[in-house]
Amino acid sequence: MALAADRYASRADTLVFIGCVLLSLAAMSLPDRLRDPFARALRQTVLAPFLALQQQTELLSASLERYDAVVAQRDSAALAATFLPELRSENERLRSLLGLGARLASGYVPAEVLHQAEPTNALTFVVSAGRARGVKPLAAVVSPEGLVGMVGSVDAQTSVVVTWAHPEFRASAMAEDGSVYGIVAPYGSDGPWSWLLELQGVPYRQLVPDGTPIITSGLGGVLPRGIRIGAVVRVAGEAEGWERTYLVRPAVHPAAVTHVMILTGQSIRGDLRAAFQSEGKTP
Amino acid sequence: MRRSDKYRFFVILAGLVVLQFSVRGRLGDERIAPDFLLLALLIYTIRAQPGPSAGVGFLVGLLRDALTPASFGVGALAHTVIGYLSSWSKAVFFAENLFVNGWLFFAGTWFRNLVVALFSGKLTAGVLGWELLVWSPLQSLTTAVAGMLVLWLFGRHLAIRLSDA
Repeated sequence: MALAADRYASRADTLVFIGCVLLSLAAMSLPDRLRDPFARALRQTVLAPFLALQQQTELLSASLERYDAVVAQRDSAALAATFLPELRSENERLRSLLGLGARLASGYVPAEVLHQAEPTNALTFVVSAGRARGVKPLAAVVSPEGLVGMVGSVDAQTSVVVTWAHPEFRASAMAEDGSVYGIVAPYGSDGPWSWLLELQGVPYRQLVPDGTPIITSGLGGVLPRGIRIGAVVRVAGEAEGWERTYLVRPAVHPAAVTHVMILTGQSIRGDLRAAFQSEGKTP
Repeated sequence: MRRSDKYRFFVILAGLVVLQFSVRGRLGDERIAPDFLLLALLIYTIRAQPGPSAGVGFLVGLLRDALTPASFGVGALAHTVIGYLSSWSKAVFFAENLFVNGWLFFAGTWFRNLVVALFSGKLTAGVLGWELLVWSPLQSLTTAVAGMLVLWLFGRHLAIRLSDA
């Protein structure tokens, strides 16, 4: 084996390999303040044409699907096409997005999600709206179903979204009727309870019934009040009579999202409960 | 290798990169659609020496890390290792056979996902299990099929000899 290795991989090859591995380890240990500008520079230079290509492809396919939907409504023969499950769900999502946009009135930026192939895609992903369209760091990212995450970093044409599934995600939350407050974080456990959230820090004496809707509370001033997060599933744990932690089924799964809205401006700083409560009542 | 073949080789690789950013999103579930970028890297490593393969793998991984910053540097590490091992093992062990190359694409994709999933440290045990035992094998399979199709159609231009064995 050693002979074969010497024969097929020269000393220079081995040195290049070791050098690349060391550079990779160095990149892994970079602090955020160095890593983010470097990644941003790559996205804005080398990757810019590829991201533009992906964005144009997404726009083209979305346009084609919208065109199909219009033709389907006009032409009874094409109506059958709407029964295709994929086309119908895409159509419903776009309609929901339009409905939410109308209820929010202003102060949002629509964006396409540019999904990537890696396993960590559901934790952070790139969207096709950036600083040029008014996106700022820490802006809330929502879909018609509810909270997707928040903007982590912003480039000129794209932004990186940190979803609720990211281990470092936290949001101040409350029950929809305002009776209970707590902090929502990824549950991060094994088995069938993966991809759930947990509501931490609920006083022991305050019971939260299963199915209670959980929304953002607006405390802390990062996320606006009233964005739907999910619904309580069951009690996840208790801390010796002091507090309870509840499992929360998220309203939206990051991997399933194709289009999002990034909330910007002062007009959406109020209570958004009405916008999300009326979701589902739209035709 | 003739000069024209050399150009064709890089045109085919560039075509795979374009497919990654254009067609891939329309090929069904993100988790199982073929990874054309990794496929281009693996095809490159079939012909290149291990050193350049590791270098190109590092660059490809670094660019991917810029698109999924949840675990910056892990993609570079994974693609470096894949590039080096693929090139080295192809020279030492593997014959020039379509199905052997398909197996190389399958193993390379699965191993890349394994390294990314393990070294990112962001996936819990349950998610990791699903990723490595369900989604990664399916993505590896689609990538291998796409790779075999590319070799079958363009193997002559890639200067990769495919035996009948």
